[in-house]
Amino acid sequence: MFRRHATFLVITALTLSAAVAVWMLRGRAAFFHALEATWGLIVTVAPSILGGLLLSAALRQLVPPGALARWMGAESGWRGLVVATAAGMAMPGGPVAAFPVVLVLAQAGADRGALIAFVLAWSLNGFQRILVWELPILGPDFAILRLICGLPLPVIAGLLARWLPIRWTMADAPALRDGAPVAGKPAP
Amino acid sequence: MSVGVIGMWVLALVALGLCLRRSPVVARRAVAEAGTSLKRVAPVMLMALPMAAFVSELVPEGWAERWLGPESGALGILLATLAGSALPGGPFVAFPLVLGFLKSGAGPAQMVALISGWAVLGLHRTLSWELPILGARFVMLRLASSLALPFLAGMAAELLLPLFPGASLR
Repeated sequence: MFRRHATFLVITALTLSAAVAVWMLRGRAAFFHALEATWGLIVTVAPSILGGLLLSAALRQLVPPGALARWMGAESGWRGLVVATAAGMAMPGGPVAAFPVVLVLAQAGADRGALIAFVLAWSLNGFQRILVWELPILGPDFAILRLICGLPLPVIAGLLARWLPIRWTMADAPALRDGAPVAGKPAP
Repeated sequence: MSVGVIGMWVLALVALGLCLRRSPVVARRAVAEAGTSLKRVAPVMLMALPMAAFVSELVPEGWAERWLGPESGALGILLATLAGSALPGGPFVAFPLVLGFLKSGAGPAQMVALISGWAVLGLHRTLSWELPILGARFVMLRLASSLALPFLAGMAAELLLPLFPGASLR
């Protein structure tokens, strides 16, 4: 609740300071020119946002990301990385939601490569963010170009993470360290 | 209304139809969740969009073009990656800002690198969420495996750019 309002307050402060700066440095005409541009932007963006929100809400009902974890083990090869990438893209919501899901996936048997691929796919190519923000604001040409360039990256990162000699287990996660032990797998 | 928007509405209605086939309760939940998200997103977005317009008035003539323009090449892509990783805040800050940069002459490949740098390396998100939940070893592993990727994304965008003439928004 507080975070939501904090976001709004921060963005309001940023916008107001930008507005004051435009008025002082660039003059009245530039200020009103910017407001006019804003109106045009709102008109273009509104239909995409409504469609995007509806699509992402419907997809969330159809595909729960946690259901895919058992295809993401260490022996899953690159196929497990592709599944992890898909799950990451389907993962809705901000960091509050996504990072705890990493723990859920780890507990369900996903290996470190799959977890890295999941986090990257969520942060780079999260479907909801593309639909609600990127596509409406930056337009389809840019959004698709960016998505194509971002699509293979989580798999590459997952392969690198399996190859790098940095081990991570759930016991290394502060969220679990002093809480209740995770059911099923004892910490190694 | 553009083809992209129409396509999205078609997809949304198909997905909603699939929910409805599962059960009306699921479909109603989807619509209700979309409404909740709208209430959360709309005020922030109405504040963020003017920021994009103000920023593009503020960026000095020729600045974005000189440092991050289409001609700035690999150096511009590297600069954009670094700028992205230092950029705080969520999508409501990043995307309007990129819009402002594009409108004042930044190159699309450089902006692909900026968004990727923000998404992958964003220090703000790493420090305030990833570190406390997953721990330092996870952060190390993730940064080590993804450090070079935003730059690669920018270079790939440079190669693919001729296929997406509308990406430059100018």
